[in-house]
Amino acid sequence: MKKTAIALLMVGLMLVTTLISAGGTQELGFPDPEKSITIVVPHAAGGSTDLIFRALAEEMKKASGTNFIVTNITGAGSATGTNEVINGAADGYMLLGAGTHTTAATMQGLTAGYLELDYVAALNWDPFIIAVRNDKPWKTLADLINDAKSRPGKISLGNAGMGGATGVASVGINLAFSKSFNVTPFNGGADLIASVLGGHCDVGVFSQSEVVANQASFRPLAILTDAHSTLASLASVPTLSEAGYPGITIPGGSFRSIMVKKGTPEAAKKWLADTAEKAFNSAAFQKFMKDNGLIPVFSKLAEFKAYDATIIADYVPILKEAGLYKL
Amino acid sequence: MDIFLEGLSQVANISTVLWMSIGSVLGILLGALPGLTATMGVALMMPISFQLPAATGIGLLLAVYCGAVSGASIPAILLGIPGNPNAIATVEDGLLMTKRGLAGQALGGAVVASFIGGIGSLICLVLFSPLIAKMTLAFGPAEKTTLALVGLVVIASVSGDNIWKGLLMGALGMGLAFLGTDPYSAQLRIPFARYLATTPLAKGIDLTSALIGLFGISQVFLEMRRINLPAQKVPEVKIDNIFPSFRKILGMWKIILSSLGIGTLIGAIPGTGASIAVFMAHNSAKAIAANSKGKLDMPGTGVIEGVFAPEVANNAVTGGALIPALALGIPGDAATAVLIGALMIKGVTPGFHLFSTNMALVYAIFITMFIANVFMAVFQLAGVRIYPKVLNVPPQILMPIILILSFIGAYAIAGQATGVAIYNMGIALVMGLVGYFLKRDGYPIAPIVLGLILGGMFEENFRRAVKLAGGNYLVFFTKPICLLFIAFSILSVVLPIIARRRRGGKA
Repeated sequence: MKKTAIALLMVGLMLVTTLISAGGTQELGFPDPEKSITIVVPHAAGGSTDLIFRALAEEMKKASGTNFIVTNITGAGSATGTNEVINGAADGYMLLGAGTHTTAATMQGLTAGYLELDYVAALNWDPFIIAVRNDKPWKTLADLINDAKSRPGKISLGNAGMGGATGVASVGINLAFSKSFNVTPFNGGADLIASVLGGHCDVGVFSQSEVVANQASFRPLAILTDAHSTLASLASVPTLSEAGYPGITIPGGSFRSIMVKKGTPEAAKKWLADTAEKAFNSAAFQKFMKDNGLIPVFSKLAEFKAYDATIIADYVPILKEAGLYKL
Repeated sequence: MDIFLEGLSQVANISTVLWMSIGSVLGILLGALPGLTATMGVALMMPISFQLPAATGIGLLLAVYCGAVSGASIPAILLGIPGNPNAIATVEDGLLMTKRGLAGQALGGAVVASFIGGIGSLICLVLFSPLIAKMTLAFGPAEKTTLALVGLVVIASVSGDNIWKGLLMGALGMGLAFLGTDPYSAQLRIPFARYLATTPLAKGIDLTSALIGLFGISQVFLEMRRINLPAQKVPEVKIDNIFPSFRKILGMWKIILSSLGIGTLIGAIPGTGASIAVFMAHNSAKAIAANSKGKLDMPGTGVIEGVFAPEVANNAVTGGALIPALALGIPGDAATAVLIGALMIKGVTPGFHLFSTNMALVYAIFITMFIANVFMAVFQLAGVRIYPKVLNVPPQILMPIILILSFIGAYAIAGQATGVAIYNMGIALVMGLVGYFLKRDGYPIAPIVLGLILGGMFEENFRRAVKLAGGNYLVFFTKPICLLFIAFSILSVVLPIIARRRRGGKA
């Protein structure tokens, strides 16, 4: 009996110490120098979204002297990480690495998403590229589209997951070309690359860095933005209109931004937006964006909210037509 | 040769050696603590690596990675609690060896095996990278579906005496794997969706939390039941003879080669991982031992063969996972995904052109991988005499510590995200209770874990393969690799039955 008592006492003591150390810090002006600010990235560590926020977090740290931590909460597209922020406190200490993945997940009803979030700062776009393995017969986008139209459903068009931006882009492409493709979701970008390289999937919607990494094996057919890539190795990839399809607009990229839980105090949001702006304009982050071909579109707070409204307006018809719109 | 020397010069400095030693020790510690995984260790060190030169930074991350994979065997052997999923197949023989007083030999053997696995896979990485990378690309959704099938067949061999109990547990694990989000359409798929949709349960059961519960917390409950019984006599741990004899290692060459091959290849196939490789290696070792005419002891009965197979395999996964990472820029597992990210932050894009444009860095990575394995072996061996002391701690002190460490581990999986972290603690607790009742009534735990790991992989790839084939369910019978795996799965189920019948007939 005595042994049980000792064991229970040990457990009790340890639980008490854990609880004491976890609880009770006092609220001061924002930000409390004792506290760290967490950026929740709803995608896996090492991916392109993760890297953007890690690079930015380093600069936010330098610009403010406050500690910024990046934490990866993956799952359910990007919904698990988004819900973590929404379920947290509206105190400005937890930011969401948001963007088009948030827009897509919200519209698909996977999370309350942008309906429960406030706008801090818009960062940049990473344009998507349609590419095939270089031994495939399609030399141009027109070759591919014509072939797809001649045998509907036979050519597979892969994306990195239905809940994310490549999912919406691939659905957009399919709708623009009379649903000729077999749109197939994969488990993230890496899975899609491997499947296209291995010949299991015919066509993929990729981010630029993914194409650059596999340049010897991929043939890029078109970039899904209005402008050419700023990366030297992809600068010659034609835009959709150059490839012979003017007038088709597809939200062809992934956009990244910072959002916080709705109801976060204005002062905290302003401090965060200003810090993000300083970090964004730092030489190191500007170089990072240039090296990775990211298109800067910085805006903050109300201005960002207006900007996001245009993205939402682009997304709604595509998701509705694809039957994915659940709002 | 000049390029090799240039690569060497990138790592031959005191800073690299120092950071890699720190990484190695940290990795082993993280690996040994339940719930703290290799991926987490690597992600934790990632910000530090940003501040270091590329080769040094990668060296640090590789040291953490190798250390964490290997360190997980320590609690698996001593307490039957795997530090992370890499050591789940080490538990069976490791714990039995400890109960026989052979903990020293098991721990030492695990280090030697890890070193062989790490170095062996590094050799594959250096010599056959392009070839293996090409091979892994042959694994599309259909091939991965049948690979998962091969893994599921292993359930039969980890079921213990009663195969039906094993199958039941495997089915339970697969059922758990289906909870959460549809991997395909990203739509919710849970009971009480209205209430659970915004909770982290929408993501499903976290594997590491489940492991902590099933192996760690359930063990604490079991021990608490025994606490008032007269103390069990702990066999004297012999630590004078920690190395298996050279002859013994040579005698196991078939097991080593097969585990090395399984680990390297499975590691190189994206979307699979060590947790599958270790079970397959253990299973294959059983087959090899059965055909050895008594020269090898049977894994599963508390012998060094059963520790060697999974420990060679899990460290072989480290080198294997680097193959697609370096050659294609596609991570072989979650930890190498972080490595790729760390390289990209440094402005280095892994992939084919790394080999043509920056071979010096590739050599530097090879060299640091070698150093990481040497450090792992040295530092882990240094402690072999100390680790077994944990067995002398009376259970009324040890068990609460394990309980607290288990909860801390479950909490730490999600890092700073308190919501998910608390939820993971809940999973660990519930799985701990489930594991307690199952263990108490003699149900095997390993099949649940296998079902949990493979269920998701099977479903996701099955559906993707059928979709890519335009709805054709027979696609699995049109590809040579698939047919091979299907045939292998059928044979592994049928052959033992026939063998048993025959033996039964003779008697």
